[in-house]
Amino acid sequence: MSAAPCARACLVVDDSRVVRKLARRMLEGHGFAVEEAEDGARALDACRRAMPACVLLDWNMPVMNGLDFLKALREEFGPDNPPVVFCTTENDIGRIAQAIEHGAQEFIMKPFDQQILLGKLAQVGLA
Amino acid sequence: MDDLLADFLTETTESLAELDLALVRLERAPDDAATLGLIFRHVHTIKGTCGFLGLPRLERVAHAGENVLARLRDGTLVATADVVSSVLTAADRIKEIVAGLSASGAEPQGDDAPLIAALAAIAEGGAAVPAAVPAETATIEPVAAEPIPAEPARTESPAAEPHGGPQTIRVAVEVLDDLMTLASELVLTRNQLLQLARRQEDDALAVPLQRLSQITSDLQEGVMKTRMQPIGGAWNKLPRLVRDLARDLDKKIELVMVGAETELDRQVLELIKDPLTHMVRNAADHALESPTERRARGKPETGRIALSAYHVGGHVIIEVADDGAGLPVEKIRAKALARGLATEAELAAMNDAQILRFVFRPGFSTAAAITAVSGRGVGLDVVKTNVERIGGSIDLASTAGRGTTFTIKIPLTLAIAAALIVQAGGERFAIPQLAVVELVRASTSTSTSTSTSAGPEGSEARIERIDATPVLRLRERLLPLASLRRLLQLGDAADDAAPQTVVIVQVGAATLGIIVDAVFDTEEIVVKPVAPILRHVTMFSGNTILGDGSVIMILDPNGIARATGLGGGEQRASGVAAAAAPAVSSAERTTLLLFRAGGPEPKAAPLGLVARIEHIARERIELSSGAPVTQYRGRLMPLVPMAGAIDPARESHPVLVFSDIDAALGRDRCMGLVVDEIVDVAEETLRVELGGGRPGVLGTAIVAGRATDVIDTAYWLQIAYGDWFRSAAGRRAGAARRPSVLMVEDSDFFRQLLVPALAAAGYDVTAAAGAEPALRLRDEGAMFDAIVSDIEMPDMDGLAFVRRVRAEGAWARLPVIALSGRTHPDDIAAGRDAGFTDYVEKFHRDALLASLRQCLGQDVAAAA
Repeated sequence: MSAAPCARACLVVDDSRVVRKLARRMLEGHGFAVEEAEDGARALDACRRAMPACVLLDWNMPVMNGLDFLKALREEFGPDNPPVVFCTTENDIGRIAQAIEHGAQEFIMKPFDQQILLGKLAQVGLA
Repeated sequence: MDDLLADFLTETTESLAELDLALVRLERAPDDAATLGLIFRHVHTIKGTCGFLGLPRLERVAHAGENVLARLRDGTLVATADVVSSVLTAADRIKEIVAGLSASGAEPQGDDAPLIAALAAIAEGGAAVPAAVPAETATIEPVAAEPIPAEPARTESPAAEPHGGPQTIRVAVEVLDDLMTLASELVLTRNQLLQLARRQEDDALAVPLQRLSQITSDLQEGVMKTRMQPIGGAWNKLPRLVRDLARDLDKKIELVMVGAETELDRQVLELIKDPLTHMVRNAADHALESPTERRARGKPETGRIALSAYHVGGHVIIEVADDGAGLPVEKIRAKALARGLATEAELAAMNDAQILRFVFRPGFSTAAAITAVSGRGVGLDVVKTNVERIGGSIDLASTAGRGTTFTIKIPLTLAIAAALIVQAGGERFAIPQLAVVELVRASTSTSTSTSTSAGPEGSEARIERIDATPVLRLRERLLPLASLRRLLQLGDAADDAAPQTVVIVQVGAATLGIIVDAVFDTEEIVVKPVAPILRHVTMFSGNTILGDGSVIMILDPNGIARATGLGGGEQRASGVAAAAAPAVSSAERTTLLLFRAGGPEPKAAPLGLVARIEHIARERIELSSGAPVTQYRGRLMPLVPMAGAIDPARESHPVLVFSDIDAALGRDRCMGLVVDEIVDVAEETLRVELGGGRPGVLGTAIVAGRATDVIDTAYWLQIAYGDWFRSAAGRRAGAARRPSVLMVEDSDFFRQLLVPALAAAGYDVTAAAGAEPALRLRDEGAMFDAIVSDIEMPDMDGLAFVRRVRAEGAWARLPVIALSGRTHPDDIAAGRDAGFTDYVEKFHRDALLASLRQCLGQDVAAAA
């Protein structure tokens, strides 16, 4: 962690090990340092330990879901930092507005590929 | 991508297990937001993930399920029994696809359109599903609506809450097994060291050795613990099973589980899973009465099945209790008599508990017990065998009208066991303590008379000879005897005239004596599996290293019983009969269902062809374009009255259900044959005299001493569906060439049965009446895609046939599937050794079709 510049650290929050692993591959291939968390509560702990440069956030998770995590994160660390890219599926489009309202900067549809993911991260200022 | 797929399969399998439990919970409490959230999350995760992995079939099914769940979550749809059923169906389909995925690495073929359409219909405006019939919902509703508040808390095993608990990591099972072996060896080395140190009397050594000893014990205990799993893991699937059975059987059933956190070795857990499932299924299907009956008997409408588990000493006790009708002692007594399992005098001397134990005998099922066939072909004898195989025991208690309780006692672990160390011919052996009943010293009788006159009062155990076969007379019982020296060919038996040391062991229902040279101590031994090279020697179950470092073999009392000709088979109470008569199980026997229809004389159908037996109430029979039908498991089932017409005066009709459900082939049909009365189940060596020319009758056979018509199931199926056998083939017209199969079968009856079934499944079938004609076909240059061969045939049997096929000629590499009535693991192993590709039980048409599809690389399924 300390070796990689913090500006390139991305926290992947998803309850599926498969999705976390996939995101890690896509991101590490592009020089990102990846941290994983399997639910909102652990993600919040991770942010308290070391603030990542951005968060890739799933919605449906046990213990603390994406929305609750987002609320807690913004309350504790202010409105814009770190940028949050919110993952959704076409069944959950209704959640996008809710996510943006609570401080997500971008959303991304599952399944995504490396190009789309990097594009979204570029949108939130991580080239 | 491979490890991702493996991760996905693990993750999804876990999700699906939780999903089942949660869905059943949801049905009980449709408003439980937490449960709904959990369900939604699992399906959502599966769907979200398979998009990444390129699994379109899975994604579409999960997506359709998710749509329904989203409506539930948003509160615009209520979780009725039907809605939950539809989601369960989707979960089942996901399981099927995942299973295929894990077997072959790719999604299996299949048509999900009807399922997806049904789910979509529910999601859009909650329209009635095709399966949802008002009458049916009405009967189900009370179950769903009845709040059973205690239930969810009990069913929730700790394993179902992976988050928030103590942190865990995943470790491969092999690593744990290796650790276990290493720890065991460390224990043995420590023991050797302790023995050495005792001789040295060196104080400087004593203290660290003491510490080493303690640490070693702690380490072993710790490693043992890592292999322990809560029994709840084996119970996970039961709530769903009971829920489905309750729905299918129109019963109300409450499943209570206590002690799900009780831990036992994962190996034991795996082995106990199937027997437990079978017993719960039995309880739901047979033991519990219908709500009407229960009300009439003054019992609560909802029947109760209680599972409990707890530790006692080094054992786990598992109880399966129901509050149903109890076992019919009189029927069992009559059946035992009819079967010749005991004489009238013997039965008179038995108490009820002893008589009840007959239900554990092979092939023992009363007609009442199969009236709604659930665990067809698997009886309590199989449960008992499985339990005993892991060193456990099973017992039952039953009170008429109050219910039945089965109690299973199994060891905590198979890795360490108490064993009696004995010696024969200079070698030491271990006999598992669980099997040992007692040790006796027996004098040899000088008389070789065959009379059974009692010996002198004083001598309790004597060896006598009946026709040169030594037997042990022990307290007025005659027991078969085996000499370990002779069995293992360790030289001649010691002086026959001298008193002998005999270890009495209990193997299933049989008791036998094993003559040994000397008996040492009882020791805790670490059981190691037999090396593959010795695996065919069934007299050994493993080996172990003793404290002094010597390696000895562990004897398998089952194997010894078999080696002495006792078999695992039925044994008469007197014991002598069993010793004299060789095992009867070698004859090919078929289980037949006897019933009456349109006349007083009994008719028979192979039980293996009957999917279920149902009693269908008069009001559930409707007319559809003039023909009787009924709603059955969500589809319309045509009913064919065997007597020509359905008697409108009867309140309920026994119906034999024949089904043809094969998801891979997209077939999903069933038909009910309406009969007058279910009479019995009989096991017979089936010899059918063909002919007679009567439609619907295949021929006549002697069953239970009476000439009985064996019905031609194909004929009745065709009456229900003119296209039963044609359509599957027709649908494939234009597809690739039909695969060809050679059927080698000496029995006219089986050829008649199987050839049309295979033809219907899309094969070109050529039949040969024996191995010789089949080999002639080969020499004439005939070629097939696969061969299906009977094992038991005159002249040349299936094993010899397949050896000839493999030895030379154009068929040497063809898949050859064995068909046999004998399915003991030894028989299957022998079949595989001879060269069979697969081994299928006779009458299990579905298993045969599945095996063929597998052998032919699923071509047939793909063409459908």
